[in-house]
Amino acid sequence: MTENAIAVSGLVKSFGAKRALDGFDLTVRTGEVHGFLGPNGAGKSTTIRVLLGLLRADAGDVRLLGGDPWRDAVALHRRLAYVPGEVNLWPNLSGGESIDVLGRLRGGLDPARRDALVERFELDPRIKGRAYSKGNRQKVALVAALAADVELLLMDEPTSGLDPLMEAVFQQVVQEAAADGRTVLLSSHILAEVEALCRRVTIIRQGRAVQSGSLEELRSLTRTTVTAGLRDADEAERTLATLDGVHHVQRDDGHLTVDVDTASLNDVLARLTGFGVRSLTAHPPTLEDLFLREYSDELATLGVEGSR
Amino acid sequence: MSTLVDTELSGTRGLVRVALRLDRWRTVVWAVAVAGLTQVSVSAITELYSTPESRAGRAQLISSPAATALAGPGYGLDDYTVGAMTANELGLWIMVPVGIMALLTVTRHLRAAEEDGRLELVRSAPVGRDAPVVAGLAAAVVATLAVGVLTFLALLTTELDAVGSAALVGGVVMVGLVFAGVSAVTSQLTAHGRTASSLAMAVLGVAFLLRAVGDVRGPESTSVLTWLSPFGWAQATRAYVDERFWPLAIGVVAAALLVGGAFWLAGRRDLGTGLLAERLGRPRATDRLTGMFALTLRRQLGAIVSWGAGIVLSGALIGLLAGELVDYVDDEPQLAQMFPDGPGGVIASAFALYTVFLAVMAAAYASTAVGAARSEELVTRGALVLAGPVSRTRWLGSQVGLAGLAAAVIMLLTGLVMGLTANASLGSDGHLAELVGASAVTLPAIGCVLGLAVVVLGVAPRAFGLVWAYVTYVGVVGLFGGLLPDGSDVLSPFTYTPQLPAEAMDWPPVLLLTVAAAALISAGLAAFRRRDVVG
Repeated sequence: MTENAIAVSGLVKSFGAKRALDGFDLTVRTGEVHGFLGPNGAGKSTTIRVLLGLLRADAGDVRLLGGDPWRDAVALHRRLAYVPGEVNLWPNLSGGESIDVLGRLRGGLDPARRDALVERFELDPRIKGRAYSKGNRQKVALVAALAADVELLLMDEPTSGLDPLMEAVFQQVVQEAAADGRTVLLSSHILAEVEALCRRVTIIRQGRAVQSGSLEELRSLTRTTVTAGLRDADEAERTLATLDGVHHVQRDDGHLTVDVDTASLNDVLARLTGFGVRSLTAHPPTLEDLFLREYSDELATLGVEGSR
Repeated sequence: MSTLVDTELSGTRGLVRVALRLDRWRTVVWAVAVAGLTQVSVSAITELYSTPESRAGRAQLISSPAATALAGPGYGLDDYTVGAMTANELGLWIMVPVGIMALLTVTRHLRAAEEDGRLELVRSAPVGRDAPVVAGLAAAVVATLAVGVLTFLALLTTELDAVGSAALVGGVVMVGLVFAGVSAVTSQLTAHGRTASSLAMAVLGVAFLLRAVGDVRGPESTSVLTWLSPFGWAQATRAYVDERFWPLAIGVVAAALLVGGAFWLAGRRDLGTGLLAERLGRPRATDRLTGMFALTLRRQLGAIVSWGAGIVLSGALIGLLAGELVDYVDDEPQLAQMFPDGPGGVIASAFALYTVFLAVMAAAYASTAVGAARSEELVTRGALVLAGPVSRTRWLGSQVGLAGLAAAVIMLLTGLVMGLTANASLGSDGHLAELVGASAVTLPAIGCVLGLAVVVLGVAPRAFGLVWAYVTYVGVVGLFGGLLPDGSDVLSPFTYTPQLPAEAMDWPPVLLLTVAAAALISAGLAAFRRRDVVG
């Protein structure tokens, strides 16, 4: 039993001249649901394909469930299941047949679990692969993976074709898997989904991990937005602007909005009471804020005003 | 470019341009290939049958039922000119591929585009319901006409006359138009491009059979069955004998009716659906569908059966024609002199040649099966399976193993059927073992072609087109090796296969080819283990 289900360091993978992964690090602890964030083309799928032993790493150290994903692929695959983002099924097999054939390649599925999942995802297993919509093809892959008795689930944008109802079912099923002690690596760009399911996340950008840690840790690295209705807003504005760790001071009549570094939060709140607080709201940064912060320069290039 | 009044045809011009642009190279290749092969075949006939006596002998051979089924209604058999021979024996073999080309073009533009969602994007623009149908048909019509015009020009370079060539090519073009119409209709019936083209191919098969049975029962287009088939209409033009053009009008009217029907059907269905409901499958897999091999068999069964049926039936025809060939040689003392072993020697050479031809077909099937493994990888179904506890060797090995096994079964069955039919038509009983043996001895060479395809898949999967080029090369040197410069056949494994039953059995090359096949397959599997899985 190793503590980390996945341990990647300094991973490099190039396709011709393009460096898809450029010294990428990733640690996923056993039993956690780990969010893997990044826009299209950042290297999420490449990472997962290296973890599956489908691609060979050019450099770096990759350990998966204590083994080498390239060398020990078959043995490791008995202990994991994979849901791709783009699912293609055999056109002349029904969805139910595809689930069974994939399950039997790993020695059989628990029929009760399979049927329960088919029902929960409202999948009609009789439809032929060529006739399914994208969302339904994804459900087939989800059922096949979740019905397997495995320690680790590798999911590459598994919900990109699901409707909100099915998204809710998906979140519930992943929570159950986590409660059973299974480890999940969830690549996604649906931030709300990651925020709901994952305690720890890794943000990838241009083939490198730019942030990694628990959501709490990451939040503490960034700022809390505090809005206060004040009796003496003028004076408060002047005072707060001089403090370290306070940014983006904005006045709107009797309301003052500031972004506060985590370290200065206590100090700022203590001082505010001196200006007659009538109302107070504070939001911790959302995952979206964290994410967009990492991409603020790219957003600027795209002409989108960056978040704080 | 936009019209003032928006109709169901709005946007047609733009879509036609896109369709033609997408198809330009495909069309050029088809036109050059059909025209080129027609020209070469006519030149070969002209040279081979240079005397009236030889042509009269040929006329007698071709009037047998088995030969008629694969030729035509037999106009001008009493004065069998090169033109009459071309129309009677070659015409059908120009029409069939052009019909297939036309129907595939239409399903590609109509159904396949709708299936992968492209048509939805197009239809959301100010484009009428009928515009994509018109564009797909226009692409097929342009391709058919391009093939027709180039083939006509190619025929003018031979000694054949222009009027007869116009009748022959007119028939070819008409067949193309009819099957474009057939496929426009089948494209409305089902939601899937593959099913739509399979249905249209089935119609083509029925048309082929109707003409074959019709012509066998009533020569010179006197059977009703012949007149139910577009091939029958095309051949009823009596090209190079006593031309008449009105049968072509039947085809044009039929094509117009089919196209009208397609538009009518298109107006009665939703985008993305077919008029025939998709059949449901099993909610769970039967016990037999367990493991890589069973999965591959399920995927490949259709291809195995259709390739197998084609190859085995060709073997049966060759066996049946053997009797006619003996009569022909007996009637032609000069010909018999060319073969010191007499008719038996002619038959043995013919069997040896055709066995190689059929073996190349089996090798072509095996290569398509490896190509199918490549497609599995590209559409990410490979990753879905390889992410499970399935090794690369098991994944690819099962597919290669099934390809080899299926090719071997097809070949042995072909030998069996060819032997039985040859015994029947020659009235002897010595050919069964002989032809099963001749078929079996080609298996190592088939394995070498298969092995080469596996090596390309393992080492340079993007260059898989090379495999088709190689299979074509093997086919050409196998059939025409004698006419080509010396040494041009050194790269074909069939060159080293003993030409049974014309030659004696020779074990060393067969064993060497077996070793080579095993080495190639192992090397390909090993290379596949070492490379990245794409897709």
